[in-house]
Amino acid sequence: MNTKSAELVKLAEQKSPTRLTKSLESFAALREGHITNVRDRLVEYGLWAKALSEANSHIAVDDEEIAAATDAYEEVSNHLATNLSWPLESISIKPQGSVSTKTLIRSPNGSEKFDIDAVCKVDISHIEADNPTSFFESIGKALKDLEAQPKRRCWMIPFAGRRFYLEFTPSIPLNTISEQTLYSMAPRYSVSRYRETALAVVDMPTESWKTSNSEGMSKWVNDTSERRLIRSIAMEANTYDRAAASVAPVPDQAVDITDTLRVAIRLFKRHRDMCTRRGVIDAATKPISVIIVTLLTSCYEGLSDLNRSYEHPVELLDELATLMPHLVLKLGGKYRVDNPTVEGENFAEKWNDDGGERYKSFMAWASALSADLQTILSEKDPQAISKRVREVFGIPAPTDGGNGLTTIQPPAPRATPASRGLA
Amino acid sequence: MALDLSSFSEKYPDLLLTALSREGGATAYQLRLPSFQDGRKFKWAELRLPKGFPEYGKAFIQLSPDAVLRIPHLDRDGVLCIEGDPGPGLGYSSEDRIQIVLYGYFEQFLKPWLNGDLDDNFENEALNYWAIAVARARSNTDAVRGVWTIDSPPKKARVRSGLLLIPNRIIIAADEQFRITNRLVQSMGAAAKQRVRVLVADIPISHAFTPSTWPRSMYDLERILQGRLPSEEYSRLQYSRSRRGRGIHRVVLLRNSKVSFSYLLPGGPPTVLDVYRGKKASPSLPKPLPLMTSRLDPDWTAGRDQHPEIKGRQAKHVLVLGGGALGSPVVDHIAKAGVGRISVVDADTMSSANIGRHLLGADSIGQNKVDAIAQRINLAYPATEVTPYAMSTAQWLKKNTLVDVDVVLDLTGEPDVRVQIEQVRLNYPCSLLIGWMEPYVAAAHACMLPAGHKWLKGAQDPLSSLEAVVWPSEVIQQEPGCSSLFQSYTAAAAEHAVALVAESALEMIDNSATVTYGSSVRSWVRGQRFLDKHWPGLTHKEWAKAATIHDGLILNRQFP
Repeated sequence: MNTKSAELVKLAEQKSPTRLTKSLESFAALREGHITNVRDRLVEYGLWAKALSEANSHIAVDDEEIAAATDAYEEVSNHLATNLSWPLESISIKPQGSVSTKTLIRSPNGSEKFDIDAVCKVDISHIEADNPTSFFESIGKALKDLEAQPKRRCWMIPFAGRRFYLEFTPSIPLNTISEQTLYSMAPRYSVSRYRETALAVVDMPTESWKTSNSEGMSKWVNDTSERRLIRSIAMEANTYDRAAASVAPVPDQAVDITDTLRVAIRLFKRHRDMCTRRGVIDAATKPISVIIVTLLTSCYEGLSDLNRSYEHPVELLDELATLMPHLVLKLGGKYRVDNPTVEGENFAEKWNDDGGERYKSFMAWASALSADLQTILSEKDPQAISKRVREVFGIPAPTDGGNGLTTIQPPAPRATPASRGLA
Repeated sequence: MALDLSSFSEKYPDLLLTALSREGGATAYQLRLPSFQDGRKFKWAELRLPKGFPEYGKAFIQLSPDAVLRIPHLDRDGVLCIEGDPGPGLGYSSEDRIQIVLYGYFEQFLKPWLNGDLDDNFENEALNYWAIAVARARSNTDAVRGVWTIDSPPKKARVRSGLLLIPNRIIIAADEQFRITNRLVQSMGAAAKQRVRVLVADIPISHAFTPSTWPRSMYDLERILQGRLPSEEYSRLQYSRSRRGRGIHRVVLLRNSKVSFSYLLPGGPPTVLDVYRGKKASPSLPKPLPLMTSRLDPDWTAGRDQHPEIKGRQAKHVLVLGGGALGSPVVDHIAKAGVGRISVVDADTMSSANIGRHLLGADSIGQNKVDAIAQRINLAYPATEVTPYAMSTAQWLKKNTLVDVDVVLDLTGEPDVRVQIEQVRLNYPCSLLIGWMEPYVAAAHACMLPAGHKWLKGAQDPLSSLEAVVWPSEVIQQEPGCSSLFQSYTAAAAEHAVALVAESALEMIDNSATVTYGSSVRSWVRGQRFLDKHWPGLTHKEWAKAATIHDGLILNRQFP
């Protein structure tokens, strides 16, 4: 199939990047076909799969935590309905971004809040919202009690005391906008794929409507992740994790690594976060998540369109990491990472007017990622692999110990400790 | 030591009761360890009782060296630093004290560690752990002992030149283009005999490093340098040589507004140290050397980052007239508060009679007061530059104008000076503070006059009318003039006046750009008890009577 993604993959392959495992001793047996039995080959891959899967489970945010945020949506819609006297049925709030693609990850410091993106779709046939700025601001006003703070296109609601904060984007369905307004919107932004979910959001700096299709983006990621690139996957699962195959399905956010696209998105985003922590890239110019998601999903989609298949998720991860940096287009001297659901929107637009800093950050990260994955794949001892995976992705050691220890009664209450004066 | 721990065996079955002796006369009892998950293991843990326990010292828990920098809350020796033994003298039995230690170990350390609840804790005290890494790597022959920064972290990573000061072996991460660099070099004196140019990769970071994220090897550092530095700066760092073609010292400084981590890179010139009968050269280390960083920038030294007004003070020029018992400590205070430039005018020399109440001491006898004040402050506080003028105010005004002066502090107490300043301010309007003390420092006053507000009331000097105490003429006759016998207050009593004037001066300095306030007088007035102690029958003027019943009171008035 000659799709845009397939084209991107072919272009990337023309730059003949070398697979991470190309010259690794640890991979020689697999690479050169010395192990012929399929089952043995899968067991061999399983060495790395287990450790990567553990890392993936640690960083994924589980459903319960996400569910807690759903209550928050309701709280927000009630606020809007009450304060703006809009009919409750005209407001619908849905998760967007990493929550809806199940690729939300924890921050390296587990005690930090995670950010839940939601889009609030208002059916404006019930209300008046011709002016984008007043639409945006009326929503902020209605959320005043929740201490909402305005950002470029959304309201940030801090939700003190909860594990998350909410980034809440007011929007209206694109098809409810008048022809005239539609025409006046930045004409280069038009919907391409997933037309039915397109929205108009308010771009505050320019005080205008702007096309957005985050739901389409999520659908694209979710649809793409369903496509199979792994041969004989059932058997593989059976071999290295018999227990998991026979019990109830794993929770949604904690899929094992056969869900390779999402695993790649989570692990790569986490690696980017660790690179920021380590000072390898600047927090201000680090590659934004949507670029990582777009590149990986395009790559995965393109491989699928080209009918490629892989023996094992580890092999596919290797392929994705190898090709990803080469999927960034440079056309007419400009970097391009196109939004597949909004024609003309370039996620890498800022790369073109920052003196090359974001591109440099992206490349520094991508090369650190390749080098780190290579150090993992070059180990063969399960303990060494697991240690290295934890180091690379900043995963703390496993924890379920300590529960067997007896509880100790606290000693008699102590006198109030003497406090220290200023000195 | 006869301590019976048998009562613990039931409650703490993991405490092994065989006493073992340890270095320094300590007694140790091993703690049985639980089964560990991968990556959470440490080799051993002991309850230790120091020599002399329970009368002396505190019981503590010590972990095996493999736990240090892998597990939070351990010091360099593996001693667990959580709330522990309250120590002797507070009424706890030794059993209670040991129980508190064991409880802390099990409930506040071991279980939370095994459950992952301590995993984020390294980040909270990042620099304490960094200090351990630095101490471990340190040796006597290191080319550099520490790095000093004098400015805020840059927005973008860059390479800058710095100075290695020898024999002190401190690197200042800035060159002489910054005046503060020169002042620091000056203040080191002989310890900075030699200056060697070095290169510093100054890289901002978003998070404090922890033992699992700080660079551990040249490979890790190389990755940061390549990822962050613009390529031409990166090559400059890689290929720069000294004028003689030798390698130069290169430092990587990773910092944000709260924390800094620095490394000396391998490949620098050898370190030459004075040893017995000569010099000894040590080659550059084969791997990066972690270093502690000290911040010498004004925001930190003058305000510990809690006083945004320091930025404004740094840009101010304050003229202080009078370097005596009031002037000299006030200069000291406003320098400590981060005022950038201070000019001090006083024609006096330091004499033995001044010692008891002056900033300066016997080591300055015979020197011009202002020269010694300037020397002392310039050496001690790099945020400030003091310029001395050993002359009278009249002479100073002949040679200088107030054109670049933001605030004048007249602390001379002299009527002539007040008249002279009044005249000059007609042409150069600037804020003026007149500060003085009454006899015995029974009261002190800071009169704050914004630019354009006059002091003199026609030909009348209002100073006496602003005073708090009704002074009989006998007391006034004892006032200074030229008498070296005059000594009617302690430096402690004067310190109240100094604080009043210095605080008022800082307020004026901070507000001198925005003249929105009127003229006012702030006064420190001692109570009746203090007056009675110094002269019989003294009374307060009507406006100051509120102070009578107190030991001292600060009162604010409009300038009449």
